[in-house]
Amino acid sequence: MFDFDATLPLMAAQFLLLVAILNQVFYKPLTKSLDDRDNYIRTNNTEAQERLAKAQRLAQQYEQELANTRRQAQSVIATAQAEAQKTAAQELAEVQREVQAQFQQVQQELDQQKQVALQALESQVGTLSRQILTKLLGTELAS
Amino acid sequence: MMHQSLNLLPLAKLEVGHHLYWQLGNLKIHGQVFITTWIVMGLLLIAAIAATRNIERIPKGIQNLMEYALEYVRDLAKNQIGEKEYRPWVPFVGTLFLFIFVANWSGALVPWKLIHLPEGELAAPTNDINTTVALALLVSLAYFYAGFRKRGLGYFAKYIEPTPILLPIAILEDFTKPLSLSFRLFGNILADELVVGVLVLLVPLFVPLPVMMLGLFTSAIQALVFATLAAAYIGEAMEGHGGEHEAH
Repeated sequence: MFDFDATLPLMAAQFLLLVAILNQVFYKPLTKSLDDRDNYIRTNNTEAQERLAKAQRLAQQYEQELANTRRQAQSVIATAQAEAQKTAAQELAEVQREVQAQFQQVQQELDQQKQVALQALESQVGTLSRQILTKLLGTELAS
Repeated sequence: MMHQSLNLLPLAKLEVGHHLYWQLGNLKIHGQVFITTWIVMGLLLIAAIAATRNIERIPKGIQNLMEYALEYVRDLAKNQIGEKEYRPWVPFVGTLFLFIFVANWSGALVPWKLIHLPEGELAAPTNDINTTVALALLVSLAYFYAGFRKRGLGYFAKYIEPTPILLPIAILEDFTKPLSLSFRLFGNILADELVVGVLVLLVPLFVPLPVMMLGLFTSAIQALVFATLAAAYIGEAMEGHGGEHEAH
């Protein structure tokens, strides 16, 4: 069972030979392939992450732009509304003033005409009252 | 084929210590060990070449399997030696694991004994103490080499650290390491095959199956233990006993 002979060194030499051959045909190429794959995956991964970051940045930028635009639109609407209100108020005031003016004018005219009519009536008061008198009391009494 | 008259069942022959001797010059070698070793190495080489013949980015089939094996031994080496230094040692540790694993499983799965040799019998290469001692001595050389390459003569400092009192034990360790490595592997595999052999001799059907399953398990564990310990020794030799870390 324990007989050592030339098998021992020959086995050692054979084993070293096997290590050398396997190193060439097995370990080196497969290790290279594994490393290459690792590299490939890592590169792809970083690239994808970069792209993702870029996409997120772009999305953020767009969102910001969108918000800006919305704010601008709102301010435009607000100014337009304010302007419209101002114009409306102005016009309303003007119209009111005009109406007031016309009203006053009409009032004046009315007053004037009333005055004229009153004057005319006053001038006719004497005659009219005489006439009324004659009608009531008869001609003899009136004269 | 000649059977000994004692053997009732030619399938369940138990032989320990019989070898098929080949004469090489005036050296004797164990032929049956070499035959199975070449078959195991051939299997490994075929698998390796099939896996790397057409390397694709998305692995499939044999490439996937061998990549799994490679990552397994790479992690093993990385865990024991450390992230920084493990890479040059992956082929050695990995081949240790793959060779021992395939050798053990070939011993457990391939019915070698159906092939009759003039003398001795085919079995797992790790069934022969020459193989395990050769591997263990290579591990010893490897960790000495690793230590010297990394720390130069400062490697010897580990013998007197933390105290010179432990010097004899530290020296003893260098002998016990290969001894335990080789005998653990040899003993486990031989014992497993002997147990299976004895059981087959006693009850040829079904009863040896659980032991055979256990043998498969042991074989895998032994390969893992051998490779892990080899990597741990190498890592330890490079790391030293903290002497280098104190300098930082």
